Amino acid sequence: MTPTRREFLWTMGATALALQQAQEVFWTAEGAEDPGWAPGIETRRRSACLICPARCGIQGRMVDGRLVRITGNPLHPMSQGGVCPRGLAGVQMLYHPERLASPLVRVGARGAGEWQPVSHDGAVALLVERLQDLRAAGRPEALAVVAGYCAGTMRDLWRRFLEAYGSPNYVPDEYEDGTDAIMALMHGVQRRPSYDMEQADLVLSLGAPLFESWWSPLQAFVAYARPDGHEEDRPRFIQVDARFSRTAARAQEWLGVQPGTHAVLALGIAYVLLRDELFDARFVSQHVSGFEDSVDQRGRVREGYRSLVMRHYRTEEVSAVTGVPVERITQLARTLARSRAPIVVCGSDVTAAPHGLLAGMAVHSLNVLLGSINRPGGVLIGDDAPLGALAALELDATGRAGLERNPVGGAPPPFGAGDPPLRFAEAIAAGSSPEVEALLLYYADPLASSTHPEAWRAALAKVPFVVSFSPFLDETTRHADLVLPDLLPYERWQDAPTPTSYPHPVWGIARPLVEPHTGGMHTGDAVLAVGRGLGGSIAQSLPYDSFELLLKERARGIFAARHGMTLGDEFERRHHRQMEERGWWLPEHGDFEAFWEELVERGGWTDLFYDHTDPSRTAQTSSGRIDLMPDALLRAIDAEGGDRTPYIDVAAEATIAEDQFPLRLMPYRVSTLASGTLAFERWLVEQPGLFPEVHWAPWVEVAPATAAAMGLADGTMVWVTSRRGRYRARLKIFPGTAAENVCAPYRLQSPEGESANPLQVLEPSSDSLTGLSNWYSTFIRLERA
Amino acid sequence: MTRWGMVIDLDRCTGCAACEVACKSENNIPTVSPEQAEMGRTIAWMKVTAHVEGEFPHTAMHFYPRPCMHCDNPPCIKVCPVEATYISDEGVVGQIYPRCIGCRYCANACPYLVKYFNWYGPEWAESERQHLNPDVSVRSKGVIEKCTFCHHRLQHAREDARAEGRELREDDYQPACAEICPTGAIVFGDLDDPTHRVAELKEDPRVMRLMEDLGTQPKVYYLRARG
Amino acid sequence: MREDVKAKLDGLPPDERVLLRPLVETSRGFYVVAAILVAVTLWGVFAYYLQVRHGLGRTGLNRPGYWGIYIICFVFFIGISHAGTLISAILRVSKAEWRRAITRSAELITVLVIGFGAIQPIIDLGRPDRVLNVLFHAQLRSPLLWDVISIGLYFTACTIYLYVPMIPDLAIIRDSGIKAPRLYRFLAIGYRGTPVQRWRLERTIGVLSIVVIPIAVSVHTVIGWIFAMTLRPMWHSTIFGPYFVMGAIYSGIAAILIAMVILRKAYGLEGYFKDIHFDYLGRMLLVFSVLWFYFTFAEYLTAFYGGEPGEMRTFWAKLTGPFAIPFWLMVAGCFVIPLTLMARPSTRTPRGTLIASIAVVIGMWLERYNIVVPTSVNPRWEVESIGHYLPSWIEFSIMSATFSGFVLLYMVATKFVPIVSIWEIKEGREAVQEVAERVARYSSSTGF
Ligand SMILES: Nc1nc2c(c(=O)[nH]1)N[C@H]1C(S)=C(S)[C@@H](COP(=O)(O)OP(=O)(O)OC[C@H]3O[C@@H](n4cnc5c(=O)[nH]c(N)nc54)[C@H](O)[C@@H]3O)O[C@H]1N2
Ligand SMILES: Nc1nc2c(c(=O)[nH]1)N[C@H]1C(S)=C(S)[C@@H](COP(=O)(O)OP(=O)(O)OC[C@H]3O[C@@H](n4cnc5c(=O)[nH]c(N)nc54)[C@H](O)[C@@H]3O)O[C@H]1N2
Ligand code: SF4
Ligand code: SF4
Ligand code: SF4
Ligand code: SF4
Ligand code: SF4
Ligand SMILES: [Mo]
Repeated sequence: MTPTRREFLWTMGATALALQQAQEVFWTAEGAEDPGWAPGIETRRRSACLICPARCGIQGRMVDGRLVRITGNPLHPMSQGGVCPRGLAGVQMLYHPERLASPLVRVGARGAGEWQPVSHDGAVALLVERLQDLRAAGRPEALAVVAGYCAGTMRDLWRRFLEAYGSPNYVPDEYEDGTDAIMALMHGVQRRPSYDMEQADLVLSLGAPLFESWWSPLQAFVAYARPDGHEEDRPRFIQVDARFSRTAARAQEWLGVQPGTHAVLALGIAYVLLRDELFDARFVSQHVSGFEDSVDQRGRVREGYRSLVMRHYRTEEVSAVTGVPVERITQLARTLARSRAPIVVCGSDVTAAPHGLLAGMAVHSLNVLLGSINRPGGVLIGDDAPLGALAALELDATGRAGLERNPVGGAPPPFGAGDPPLRFAEAIAAGSSPEVEALLLYYADPLASSTHPEAWRAALAKVPFVVSFSPFLDETTRHADLVLPDLLPYERWQDAPTPTSYPHPVWGIARPLVEPHTGGMHTGDAVLAVGRGLGGSIAQSLPYDSFELLLKERARGIFAARHGMTLGDEFERRHHRQMEERGWWLPEHGDFEAFWEELVERGGWTDLFYDHTDPSRTAQTSSGRIDLMPDALLRAIDAEGGDRTPYIDVAAEATIAEDQFPLRLMPYRVSTLASGTLAFERWLVEQPGLFPEVHWAPWVEVAPATAAAMGLADGTMVWVTSRRGRYRARLKIFPGTAAENVCAPYRLQSPEGESANPLQVLEPSSDSLTGLSNWYSTFIRLERA
Repeated sequence: MTRWGMVIDLDRCTGCAACEVACKSENNIPTVSPEQAEMGRTIAWMKVTAHVEGEFPHTAMHFYPRPCMHCDNPPCIKVCPVEATYISDEGVVGQIYPRCIGCRYCANACPYLVKYFNWYGPEWAESERQHLNPDVSVRSKGVIEKCTFCHHRLQHAREDARAEGRELREDDYQPACAEICPTGAIVFGDLDDPTHRVAELKEDPRVMRLMEDLGTQPKVYYLRARG
Repeated sequence: MREDVKAKLDGLPPDERVLLRPLVETSRGFYVVAAILVAVTLWGVFAYYLQVRHGLGRTGLNRPGYWGIYIICFVFFIGISHAGTLISAILRVSKAEWRRAITRSAELITVLVIGFGAIQPIIDLGRPDRVLNVLFHAQLRSPLLWDVISIGLYFTACTIYLYVPMIPDLAIIRDSGIKAPRLYRFLAIGYRGTPVQRWRLERTIGVLSIVVIPIAVSVHTVIGWIFAMTLRPMWHSTIFGPYFVMGAIYSGIAAILIAMVILRKAYGLEGYFKDIHFDYLGRMLLVFSVLWFYFTFAEYLTAFYGGEPGEMRTFWAKLTGPFAIPFWLMVAGCFVIPLTLMARPSTRTPRGTLIASIAVVIGMWLERYNIVVPTSVNPRWEVESIGHYLPSWIEFSIMSATFSGFVLLYMVATKFVPIVSIWEIKEGREAVQEVAERVARYSSSTGF
């Protein structure tokens, strides 16, 4: 029988459907076999990584204008072509799906997440309007800027903008490791120490996780083993740490110490050096004061460094406190004495302690005893790049008046900056005048990262106008009123000076590798635009059409300085250094334009010549000597009741754990995730640590015996509970953890999004001298979640 | 005869995992959801694993960056029913994704656990597709993938060398991991070419290979960490 | 049943009457069971659809747990398939008289189960759409390809071996005219039982029963080799070939026994599946339980003595580790239970053998599990092995579907062919005389 037309059509339809299904089911993703682009136009351009303070040199590989790969810039003297995982995963930050598509104005309630997209001009206009009103009301000081690490022209620009506007409230949220205070007191220098690791033959790190989250992991890597494979000049690394960190693992030698006793060990070493006359007596006699006992004006005998150490740090006692065997202490001292160029690095974890400053000085005193100051392979006092100054500051009456007012958060601690954002937030929360009417957040996400988010929550509630420049809706940005998304590093111009830890000035240049995202606006340009909008003296103080041009202006200073070189390969670097040692310098560029062009093309400028003969690079104190017993310090101590003595009160007093809180919490930074920003790099969060089976979620490291005693198996979810609060994490058994400690990596969100920041269960306490909060004497308990 | 190979100096390796991420970026390796990761379905052609010995404070830890060993006698290729994994005449063990039927036999045959399976199709947010490397195909669901010694780079290098009418130089062809390693722990080259560094390094007294006793003859050598 | 058919059936001789009844008479129970099985099967098909659509991610497989349920079932079913052919062939060749009643049911199991076994690895593929690459890009070094070949051969051989001895019965049905005349005329290919035809038939069967034996042996040897040819701990072992063949026959016998018990009940075949059959097969079960122990013991002892770390991780994982439960259940199912039951004549009854057989079948499935999973999750590179495998509901669904699908087809088959070979039974009855002589010959004291 022949099918009717309807039947026929129906069958065809059915067949077609079936085929289509089969097609879909069986050949799914076939299309994805290759990304499906024609061989595109490929370009490579040098730039700098802006993800962490190290500011390594990078190179972008662009295909059809898309950034597909980040590699290293071999011309960069510090990173020498190396890049760390964070830098490599940058492409995932750049192309992150959650990136904001335009500026946003809050319409709903704060934090309700209801936004109204606006144009950049619109956003800038809004900002200008608010700031104009503030000034009109004569309250310029009511504007505040909280900014994360942005050393270089971005920081200078913010500062200049605030000055011109008339506000003293620039609040840096930056790496504070207390070394600035140490240098100021002992060397009379307003600069953090530089470490000439590459020429050292021994690097003794007391708690600084050099390979993980230090000023510049890449500087440490290159010193540890030069990428070009030379074996000869590899220094010996010795790591002293309270936990078996990755740095400890790869150091040629490592010592585990009781938490908070690094400085005691240091002075134990000093004791041996003194006892056996192993220290550099010549250097000490020529360049050091406060070493021997002295008699002050009122005839009181003041004990000097030597007596103090000799009296209090007999190796047996030190061994008892630190848990390091006597012979290892002695052996360590001998090794140091024997070395040609030893360096002792003081980690921020030494200074983030109740007696942090004194502890840090004790550690640094080893460099002094060994004469490792201002000599090749020692601790140096470097220079910044000779940048051109900003245009002259113009001040009107309002501005002048505003600058008179004291900054929110009151006076900083005697030495060092402490934790400015926290002081700031607490002052506002406490309702101290002057009130803050407008708060700008740049590279700062305090709600996520502060040790006291509650203080910040209270503070934000009191500030009527909060602006964030974050390209992402991070925790704090969600509570902003206006979001003016910045461009991401690979889209913008920015200078990238290497941190002071690197002995030579390197002025790296980050420049756009791809077309800027239409939704974003370079915060630098935004600031300039706002300046123009505000007009008058402010506009006059910021006479730059764009941030790029501002950078170019600053480069003129370098061009005029007539030393150093645009980045070059190893041969060029050596050649240049040798020339400058002989006092020669040949201009390589006819005019500034050519110089600028090459500087940008090569990724920056550097000067590898360091003048060891300059005495000001040893000490700039009034006496011209390194002061082991700085008067300023003694006065400050007296001022606060004088209950502590340098080189004696250096250990975190042994806070005793009690029953409910038997374990010590040791927060640390996973090298792959050292900054909140990196949560946006999925390759990193998927595999954050050493543990192959840990993904995305936070974990805590516990000693096998401890876990067994608590009957907790590897991988169980646990509550980490301190007196102050608790959070959830996965328990990982790690034999590198001391039985009485729990190591807690930070910078991880639990997939459920709940905050899991160990810093937020820390018990508040800090060193009154530096204001650095004390990270390592919080005790906790673990229980199954 | 060219035999591409790698020498990894464990004495230089700091376990920073730059090689791992460089590889992911170079070779379009997708991430998986937390749940999938928990199940053990992450992909990492280069994986840095840590061996910890002893207990605090007498602990020691070594890192083993582990790519495909590109065995000279690869157990994985023998078992593939469709020759979707093969060894080239220059010793590179490759995969033919469009041919692989996804039986995972090769994965079971590989003692080094370096073969990864696409349990689902790769997931890239539209914006993320922009950073995909056009030289490397994105693998579809249901196929096996692994380290290729960045073979696509060799092809490019060859073309360039030919274009410039010269021999291929040692540094013309370097895989992403070797190129990025900040401490130069990964050295890559032709094991049979005495002028290449690998040829000399593989004679180093510290040299060893993983599970050598299995007779797989890996072309990835390791230099033991010094004491 | 239609009247005319009834009449025809009653008109037939006793054997025919009993053995052909199921072809024309179907109980309600049959339909109920069939309906359930159909449902389960369809559910499994749906599960597979989901798996293909979304990817193998829907299973519980992972790295290093690359293989799971599907591969287990593959080995298991192909094992069962050794029921018929091999056994009936061996019995035929050795002229064991008591075989006559059981060969048909056994061979039927074989043919049906091979199919279900063979699709398992395809279900396990990440890219089933490319399964034909196995032909287009065949790579003969791969044990998987050896399997494709030997299973292909085995399937063809078994189908023929099932069909040829069936021809006379098909002729009988044709002549009885009780069912689908056209169909059976076609199937019976004009067999009339003339001496010549009879002689040809016997010859062919003779030859076939010799041919299938090596093929059957090869099949399961090669499956064992899939594992043995890798360097994995406790896979890389020479014993695997014979071990797998033995295990296959073992599970095969158990499968027949279960089938026989059920058929006996369902179709009232007490007159054909006599206690003696269960007794004899029970004895074989006994022998194999001991063999099984011997092989298993040999395998583990060798691994243990080598003491190679990789091997030992898997070894202990099985004996005392996470796989202890399946392991000792397996020992109980494959050794303890059948041994204790089959050793005593009083329990070599239909019920006894049924219990023992069920134990064996479960035990053998667990053995496959204990071979596939523990080794997979304990790779030589232990440093980052995930080391766990929990099958997903998808996998369980597909497994149940395979079982139900098989039973369903078997049931349906019993509606088309007599489950006991009529003509062989008859031949048996006629041959009594000749058999007696034969027996007398090799038992008489006076040799020639
Ligand atoms: N890669 C990377 N590096 C960075 C940053 C980044 O984002 N990424 N950020 C920079 C910034 S802002 C900062 S503040 C720094 C932070 O850098 P660090 O101050 O080094 O911070 P952590 O990584 O937490 O290092 C703390 C170390 O102290 C050790 N420790 C733990 N408990 C104790 C104790 O009781 N006593 C002593 N003495 N030590 C202890 C831990 O083992 C850990 O290694 O990193 C800077 N460097
Ligand atoms: N959990 C946790 N808390 C911490 C720390 C930690 O490591 N982990 N470290 C502590 C220390 S030492 C410090 S210094 C602080 C640092 O902590 P924060 O000051 O909060 O700095 P980040 O979290 O690194 O980055 C802040 C925000 O900057 C935004 N951002 C990213 N890229 C860009 C960009 O290109 N432009 C702009 N304008 N914004 C961008 C991101 O939204 C990110 O959330 O946190 C402290 N608290
Ligand atoms: S160390 Fe810091 S700056 Fe250098 S590459 Fe890594 S993230 Fe970028
Ligand atoms: S990049 Fe180099 S140093 Fe870092 S983990 Fe890989 S091999 Fe080791
Ligand atoms: S390492 Fe594994 S995958 Fe690579 S060649 Fe050897 S066996 Fe094959
Ligand atoms: S998974 Fe692919 S490559 Fe591996 S054996 Fe099977 S077909 Fe060959
Ligand atoms: S060689 Fe290429 S593919 Fe292999 S691990 Fe290194 S980067 Fe990845
Ligand atoms: Mo910081």
